[in-house]
Amino acid sequence: MSQTVNVTQAATREIAGPLLELTDVTTHFRTPRGMVRAVDGVSFTLDRGQSLGIVGESGSGKTILSRSIMGLLPTRGTERGGSIKFAGREVGNLGRKQMRTIWGKEMAMIFQDPMTSLNPLMKIGAQISEPLRIHLGMSHADAAATARRLLQDVRIPEPDRRLEQYPHELSGGMRQRVMIAIAMACGPTALFADEPTTALDVTVQAQILDLLGEQRRDRNMSLVLVTHDLGVVAGHTDEIAVMYGGKLVEKAPTRRLFAAMKMPYTEALLASIPKMADPSHTRLSVIGGRPPDLVHPPIGCRFAPRCPYAREKCQSDEPPLIATDDDPSHTFACWYPVGSPEYHESRERNAAKKVEAA
Amino acid sequence: MTATIEAPVVEMPADAPPPKDSLRKRLHIPRFSVLFSVLWLVGLTTLTLLANYAPSVVQSIMYPYSTKIRANGKAAKYLAPNAQNWFGTGKSAEDIFSHCIYGAKVTLIIGVGATLVGLIVGGFIGIVSGYFRGWTDRISSIFTDCLLSIPPLLLALILILRLDDLKDVYSWLSWCTRTWQITLTLGLVAVAPFARIVRAQTLTLREREFVMAARSLGANRSRIIFRELLPNLVPAMLTVAFTGLGILIAAEAGLAFLGLGVESPHTWGKMIDIARDDIDKAWWATVFPCLMLFLTVLSFNLLGDELARRFDIREASV
Amino acid sequence: MAAAAHPPRFGSLLLFEVLVRYLVQRLLRFAVVFFIVTFGLMVLMRLGMNHPGDPARTMLGGTVTQAQIDDVTARYHLDSRLIVQYWFWLKGMVTGDMGVSVQQNLPVSTYIGTRVLVTFFLGVYSLLLAIVVAIPVAVFQSYKRDSVRDKFLSVSSFAFVAIPPVVMGVLLIQLFVIHLGWFPRTGEKIYPWDDPVAHVKNFALPVLALALPVGAVFSRLLRADMVRTLQSDFITLASAKGVSTQRILWRHGLRNSLFSLVTSIGLQLAGIVGGAIVVEQLFNMKGMGTLLVSTILSKDLFVVQALSAIIVATVVMVNLVVDLSYALIDPRIRQMRALS
Repeated sequence: MSQTVNVTQAATREIAGPLLELTDVTTHFRTPRGMVRAVDGVSFTLDRGQSLGIVGESGSGKTILSRSIMGLLPTRGTERGGSIKFAGREVGNLGRKQMRTIWGKEMAMIFQDPMTSLNPLMKIGAQISEPLRIHLGMSHADAAATARRLLQDVRIPEPDRRLEQYPHELSGGMRQRVMIAIAMACGPTALFADEPTTALDVTVQAQILDLLGEQRRDRNMSLVLVTHDLGVVAGHTDEIAVMYGGKLVEKAPTRRLFAAMKMPYTEALLASIPKMADPSHTRLSVIGGRPPDLVHPPIGCRFAPRCPYAREKCQSDEPPLIATDDDPSHTFACWYPVGSPEYHESRERNAAKKVEAA
Repeated sequence: MTATIEAPVVEMPADAPPPKDSLRKRLHIPRFSVLFSVLWLVGLTTLTLLANYAPSVVQSIMYPYSTKIRANGKAAKYLAPNAQNWFGTGKSAEDIFSHCIYGAKVTLIIGVGATLVGLIVGGFIGIVSGYFRGWTDRISSIFTDCLLSIPPLLLALILILRLDDLKDVYSWLSWCTRTWQITLTLGLVAVAPFARIVRAQTLTLREREFVMAARSLGANRSRIIFRELLPNLVPAMLTVAFTGLGILIAAEAGLAFLGLGVESPHTWGKMIDIARDDIDKAWWATVFPCLMLFLTVLSFNLLGDELARRFDIREASV
Repeated sequence: MAAAAHPPRFGSLLLFEVLVRYLVQRLLRFAVVFFIVTFGLMVLMRLGMNHPGDPARTMLGGTVTQAQIDDVTARYHLDSRLIVQYWFWLKGMVTGDMGVSVQQNLPVSTYIGTRVLVTFFLGVYSLLLAIVVAIPVAVFQSYKRDSVRDKFLSVSSFAFVAIPPVVMGVLLIQLFVIHLGWFPRTGEKIYPWDDPVAHVKNFALPVLALALPVGAVFSRLLRADMVRTLQSDFITLASAKGVSTQRILWRHGLRNSLFSLVTSIGLQLAGIVGGAIVVEQLFNMKGMGTLLVSTILSKDLFVVQALSAIIVATVVMVNLVVDLSYALIDPRIRQMRALS
């Protein structure tokens, strides 16, 4: 056991190349209704120290994807495929026992709801110390001292008192900070944050995101930020991946995505968040329709049924994920991307249809 | 059950059609346990009613209650199970199978009666204390605490014997036969658990929107209690009634075993008591009544469990 | 939840004070229950005894002279008002005088001393065995949720719930005494310090008969809670921290799932004592149960009263301990109760 630990650790620190490399990852769930294709052929790479935002509405498979990478899904009824390479090592097929040496140590995770993510019957100090004692074999006193320092790192006032408190005695923002401290404890190389701010007050959200960014820079850690809110990732990640119906539909560096998105779905997502520049009381546009049924996904482009620019081809053929002409790091999956002549044409045509129908 | 538990992880699209039911559900075949329980209870009830009230119908499989089985010209005590006496014969050459069936009537009547008593009294206490809360709740909870602090069997023992004595002193108690005594006593034992569950349900119900709405529309107390709360308490009461029935029938057997049963016909507990001294000579005389008792209690428990599952009432499941 | 956002700050001294106040409150409540029940039982046992000599005559039983009746009546204040009698009785109980068996002409305390011990062993062993069996079974089931083994254990525990102690006792005798001959038929009292092996042998079957149904109830309650706990976020987080399965189950899962089990211990105890009456009868054990049955039948009222009081006091005390122990397990309840 201890040997594997050393190997992974050495591998993570030294081997060159991307930290995380996903090739055609699939995660399917067997349900009484049929196979749910929650994640359906996702590929991307993430470099060391980089941050990636995975964006999509609920049901897009973003949470499942992040949990698939961590290997945190229940094993029964789950079918996984494709390859997940972490620091050059295949982790997609590892069992719980092997993953346990990676969890908390190499990869860590932060959950959405800080109210339910901490053990209500354990003191904060014990919960932070736990991974330290398991992975680094620290003594009780060392672990407590480290826990105290971690609490300081995540800017929790009066760390000594907090160590002796129970989760219910802390506010939501405080608890999320504790979660971050737990995740940071063993100095992981990758951190997965699943909707880390959704359950928090708006004022606290920004603080937590800033804290995450700061920790990432300080510790040269990769960060995967999963959220439904494009606004959350806008200022906090290097790259953004947009997911829809279990597929990756667009991925680009953050600036570029906002400036030159190709996918109508991304466009729709962006249109649904309020912008500072808009006059007040501007009506936000909503995406009509509902997320696709993942048991029987639409043939062709999965967004086609809801896409205002869809044409026949969209409903019959699935668009491949291709790079844009000018930037290889910007990939998208659309037959008639935003800005193309067909896009404008079909937009006008569909608008006219709508008027007619009305 | 298997995969739906993992549902929180799988973000199901909102418009997903409901899961396809299994073949059993689509054909409306109840699960095996329910089927078994219903068949067992219906069969037992029918048989015992026929045996007690229309013996001629079942005379081909059963002997009249007081029949002594004879073999070779003398009473056949402790005859092993055979083609004529399926469960064998007992200490006084009685047919065990017939006795098992006769006794079921009393057991079932006492069980149902005691459950009704418990439901009515316990339900009343539960609703009142859950609805009015405050002092009413405090006093009734002390009352239920008191009941719960006495072992049910002890309370029943004392009460039944006292009722026996009181019957001799007060003539107006003469209607209180042993059957009534046991029914009332076990009913009292059931009051506290029933009251607890009904109270808990009432407490959650009274905060629900439809009760709030009725109150805001100016509905008076009795209307809220009888029209809004009571109908919504029926599932919970039905569930605890079935679970309670199983427990009360077991308690009746315990009492009968201790010699406080109905004189005639002998119930299962009494049969076990009579035959236990010769348990090494005739296993059938104790094992078959035990089996009847077990299957009947099990059936009621299974039905209670099924109802608890259907109505999602956690407190009531065993 | 709203309160949790702004947690009140307790100095440890203040918290201690509040806990003591809570403890006193519970004690008071249980004292009230004890008084009501014991007084209620006394009233119940005197109902219908309308003539001055009735209680004495009943207690003496058989044919007695008026002189005897008068003597007993006078000696035990049987002609005074019930509340006064209760006062004398209570005073006696507190000072260690539990009254006298009028029929045996023996002080109740010497009369029942050894009996209480038998039932005590029976009850404690059963409760412990039930818990010791239930916890690993339920933890295993929740870990292997919905597997064949889980389903098998669920079905069997359900079957065990449906077996009343009488039936269980008879079946155990049938199997282990008559068929296999491993255990003696009767559970004569033998103290563990006299002959440990014989003690275990004598108590094994009665304890099993009592403990198995109760253990089945415990394991069903615990499994349900445990399954729910294992689905919560903090368990997934514990996994993500790299905590071992054993530690997740026992340290994180079990402690958070004990509520139903612990609260039902108090309720089940009353059932165990009731079941002990039957089981003692079945195994011919000379415990409180058999004594209760015989004294109730022979109307030896003082003995019945003393025995009931001991039983009720025990049940009440155990409930109190259970109540407090839950506050010890769960800091939230500690705080909630301290606040209310």
